[in-house]
Amino acid sequence: MKLKYQILATCCILLISSCYKDQGNYIYKVPEEININGIEASYNKVSLVDKITINPTVTSTDPDAKFSYWWGIYETNVQGSAPKVDTIGRTKALDYLVTQPAKGWVLVFGAKNEHTGFSKIMTSNINVVTQFTRGWYIMKNDGGKTDVDLFLTPSAITPESRMENVFSLVNGKKLDGEANLFGFYTNYKSNVTGAYANTRALFILSDKDASVVNINTFKEIHGINNLFYETPSVNRPGSISESSQANYFVNNGRLHSIYSMSANVGLFGGQQLRDDNNSPYNLSRYFLAYPFDNPFFFDETSTSFVSATGTGSVLSAVTDVSGTEMPANRNNKTLLFMGVKSTNPYVGIALFQDKTDPSLKVLSTITPSNYALKMVNDTLAPTDKLYQAERFGLIVADENILYFSAGQEVWSRNLSNGAEQLQFTAPAGEKITCIRHRKYTGGTATEQSFYYNYMLIGTTGGGNYKVRAFQKTSGNLATAPDFTMEGKGSVGDVIYIAPPINNYTYPNSY
Amino acid sequence: MKQILTVALLTTLLAACKKDQYYLYNDIARLQFGPAPERIYTTSFEMADTVKPYTFYYEPATTTQDTVFFDIYAIGGVSGNDRPFILEQVTLNGEENAVPGTHYKAFSDPSLKEVYVIKAGEVHASVPVILLRDASLKTKNVKLQIQVKANDQFQPGEIRKLWRRVNFTDMLSQPAAWNASAVQYYWGKYSQVKHSFMINQTGEKWDEEFLTYVNTDYALLTFWRLKLRTLLTDYNNAHPSEPLTDETGETVVFP
Repeated sequence: MKLKYQILATCCILLISSCYKDQGNYIYKVPEEININGIEASYNKVSLVDKITINPTVTSTDPDAKFSYWWGIYETNVQGSAPKVDTIGRTKALDYLVTQPAKGWVLVFGAKNEHTGFSKIMTSNINVVTQFTRGWYIMKNDGGKTDVDLFLTPSAITPESRMENVFSLVNGKKLDGEANLFGFYTNYKSNVTGAYANTRALFILSDKDASVVNINTFKEIHGINNLFYETPSVNRPGSISESSQANYFVNNGRLHSIYSMSANVGLFGGQQLRDDNNSPYNLSRYFLAYPFDNPFFFDETSTSFVSATGTGSVLSAVTDVSGTEMPANRNNKTLLFMGVKSTNPYVGIALFQDKTDPSLKVLSTITPSNYALKMVNDTLAPTDKLYQAERFGLIVADENILYFSAGQEVWSRNLSNGAEQLQFTAPAGEKITCIRHRKYTGGTATEQSFYYNYMLIGTTGGGNYKVRAFQKTSGNLATAPDFTMEGKGSVGDVIYIAPPINNYTYPNSY
Repeated sequence: MKQILTVALLTTLLAACKKDQYYLYNDIARLQFGPAPERIYTTSFEMADTVKPYTFYYEPATTTQDTVFFDIYAIGGVSGNDRPFILEQVTLNGEENAVPGTHYKAFSDPSLKEVYVIKAGEVHASVPVILLRDASLKTKNVKLQIQVKANDQFQPGEIRKLWRRVNFTDMLSQPAAWNASAVQYYWGKYSQVKHSFMINQTGEKWDEEFLTYVNTDYALLTFWRLKLRTLLTDYNNAHPSEPLTDETGETVVFP
C-alpha cells in the first residue's frame, strides 16, 4: 500500500510539471519589409566644398510604421585601428558639408520603425576628393630639375585642363635630377592626419632625388633626406616597389625596406647586406615585384639575381629552376631592361647584354618560383629592331607584347613569335623619352567614364613634352591617340590617379 | 535500513555544499610589492619589475648615489593615518650581496625615516632604494634583495610578492630591456664587449632608456639590428683572423 502511495505521489509531481502556462506566440505574420530609395551606391565629393544632400524615400509594409532616422560616416582602408562611425544626422533628409580628408569613406543610413522595432541599414561609398585626387600626373624634368604636372579630368578620362609644376607649387622646391619613376601606395604609413595611418602616397623618383607626397594635398611627407632612418650619403634612387609584405627602395644600388605588416612610421631601414661578409653590391634600377610574391633585383656587381624580405638583414640568394636557360647567379650579363609582364602567373621580361661579348643580346622570359628563377632565352639578331631598343614599355597582362623605341620609332615585339611591328613614328624634332602601359578598369558605375587602357608615349622636342594616349587593339596602337598632354620639359613617367585607385591597380615596374 | 542509508547519503552530500570562505584580507592590513599603478590590473605585469638592473656606468663621475624605485601596496583598505612599514635585506647565499652603508643606504638610516610610509588615505607608495657608488662596483656586480617585514601596521601579503631585487654595478651591465626576447631576436647574448661595441660604434648609450625607446618601434629595431650587424661585419673584415671576441672568449654575433 505504501509503495502505491509513493508511486502516486511521484506521478502527481510529474503531472503537475506539465501544467505550465503556454506563453508561445502563434500569430504568424509576414516579416516587415522596409524599403529605402534615393541613396546612390557612391558619391564623389570635394572636401570642405561639397555637401551630401540626400532625402531618401522610406516605406514599410507596416501600415502603422513610424520611423526614426540616423546617418553616420566611417573611413575605409584603416589599418591598426578600428574605424569609428561618426553620427552626422538624425533626420531623414541629410544636408551635410563634407569635412573629412580626401580618401574613401562609407555613408551609413539607418531607418528604424519605432512601432515594430525593425531597422534597415543602407550604405554608400563616399569618395572624398581634392583637386589632387583625380587626374593624370606627368613627371617631367626641365633644366636638370624634376617637377610634376597635373592634367585634371573632372568628368572623363580625357583631361580638360593642366596644373603646371604642382610639386613645386605646393612644396616650394623641385627635385634634383632627371624624372624617373612614380610609385603609388595606399598603405604607406604617415602621420599627416595627426596619427600614423594608411596614407594615399605618391612616390616621385628622379635619378638624384626622391619625394613621397600625400596625394590628397600633394604636400611632401618625406624628402629623400628624411625618408630613411639614416640619411643616405649618396642620393641615387633606383626604384620603389612593393612585394612580399614590404616596400623596397633601391638607393645608390642598395636595398632598403619597410615591413608593412607591422606598425611603422614610413621610414626605410638600413642598407641590407649582400651576404654575411657585407660584400659590395650594386642593384640595377630594374626589378620584378608583385605584392603577393617575392621581389627580384639584379646585382650588377656579381651579375646575379637577389631577392629580399622586409625584415631581413641580408639579401636572399636566388637559385635556378630546373630547365632554366641562364643561371640566376654570375651570368656575366648587363641588364638593359626588366619589367613585370603579368602577375598571375608572375612573369617578367628582361633584356640582357653579355659582358664579354657585347654584341650578344638576350631577351629572357623570367618565371619566378619562390626564390628560384626559370629563364627562357631568345637571342636577338643584330637585325632585330629590339637589338637597337632605347626605351621600353611592357603591355601588362593584356597581350604578350613588348613595346620599345628605336630612334624616332616605337615598335612592338610579339614575345610569342618574335614578330616586330612599327607602331608609331614620332614627328621630326621629337625624341621618345617614355613608353608606359597604364590600365584602370572596374565595375563601379560612377567610374565608367574614367576607366581606360592606354599605351602612353612621351616625346620631347624644343623643350616641350607631349604624352600621347593611344588605345590598342590586339597589341596594335590606334592610328591616332585619344588625346595628347603637353607641357614643358621631358617626360619620365605618367600615372593616372583617382580615388578608387590603390596600390594594386598598377604593377610595380618600369 | 535502506531509508537510513538514503538519508545519511543525502545529508553527507548536503554537507559538501558549504560555501568556500575566500580570504578577504580584512583581518589586518597587509603589504606587498606590485607593478606600477597603471599596470596593477594587468595580469601579465603582476610580477613585473621584480628584479631591476642598474649601473652607474653612464653617470658622470660626480654622481655618488642614485635611487631605484619599487612599487608597494597596502592590502585591506586605506587608513586615516600615515602607516610606516619596514623593509629588510635578504642575504642571498652564494651571491655578492650588497653591503648596507657601502653599496646602499641602510633602511634604518635616520634620513629615510619618513620615506618608508604609506601615506594617509593611500594604498600605494614608491619605495626608494638609495644606491651608493662605491669604488668596488667598478669591478663587480652586487645584489640587494629586500623584503617586507611585519610591524605594528602591516603583516606581509602574498608570499610571492614580498620581495624585490636590484642588481647594480658601476660597469656596463645588461639593461632590463635587453631581455630574453631581445637576446633571441635582436641583440643576441649579452656581453660587456658587445655592449661597449654598440655604444662606441653608434654613439648611442644603449641603456635602459634607449633600448626601451627602440623597443617601441619594430622598424627601428630592425634598423638597429641591421646597422649593428653591418658595423660588426665591417669591423671583423677590418680585423682578419681577429673577430670581435667577448670577455668569455666567444665571438660576438648579432642574430
